Amino acid sequence: MVNVAQKIKDTKKKIDSLDFDAHWYRRAFHAFGASFVFYYMLPDLDWINILKFWVPPILVVFVIILEVLRLKGKVSSDHFFGLRMYEQNRVGSYVFFGVAILLLLRFFPQEIAIPCILCACLADPIMGEVRHHFTMKHVYVVGFLVCMFFFMIAWYKADISLMIVASIVGATGAVIGETKKFWWLDDDFMIQMLPAVMLLILIVCAQYFGFIVPENSVIIPGLWPW
Amino acid sequence: MNEENMKYMKNKNNFNRVIRAELLFMPLLIVVPLIVGILLVHDWFTRGYLLNDSSFNSSLIIGIVVLVGNIIFDIPFIKSLKAMSSKKT
Repeated sequence: MVNVAQKIKDTKKKIDSLDFDAHWYRRAFHAFGASFVFYYMLPDLDWINILKFWVPPILVVFVIILEVLRLKGKVSSDHFFGLRMYEQNRVGSYVFFGVAILLLLRFFPQEIAIPCILCACLADPIMGEVRHHFTMKHVYVVGFLVCMFFFMIAWYKADISLMIVASIVGATGAVIGETKKFWWLDDDFMIQMLPAVMLLILIVCAQYFGFIVPENSVIIPGLWPW
Repeated sequence: MNEENMKYMKNKNNFNRVIRAELLFMPLLIVVPLIVGILLVHDWFTRGYLLNDSSFNSSLIIGIVVLVGNIIFDIPFIKSLKAMSSKKT
């Protein structure tokens, strides 16, 4: 009897220790998303363009089907490691993450898509860690600076004033998208789409005022084979 | 959103399953971003640095960002996984 009680105690301890592990798993999963910038390295060949057109939406549709099956109870939530409690009866963050990346890759120029993807993949977990250890003020400052850096990388070929404005607008959108949490709309979606839409408006305004906006020049498609 | 909602879903029945899932995913989560980062840096070196073309500088910076960003989160992830495996045994 004592043995059983001890075993239950041990199992409870192990389950509790999952908290920390799921935490880093989620962070590593976020950072992994930065690999999607590989999309822009692919060369401009017919068969690769077909793959570029079809593979991302097929992956997202697969993920959506999987999530629908989970929410309907056809697939157990036990198979999905790292889900939070609020995702039990709601669409998981990873679906929002995938849909936002798909929209960015398909409908936005590199100057918007790449920094937004990096914000979701790297700035988001960095902000999460800062929130874990410090106050919300620190989250805003660190998040803003990190996101601004990503936007500066993408816009450094533009006019300097446009680069600064684009970085501030993008970073502001990303920080607002990350810190404002809604139950029905995930921050993984907002951190990507809010700055993207804000920058799209900025591009239209910049062109109206005569600024030359660089287009798809952040990552130049690779030669094949290297 | 309250703290309770931010907790991770846990179930004693899926303990072994999640460890297996993590171990299966680990190579993908770690190796793919490193390869992409290295390819970006390689692209800058072969087409930018050697041919003296500065338009590839952004590839270099993004490559470094991808590499460093992933290494920062991969190290604690591997450590936690190791700690978890040792607890299990």
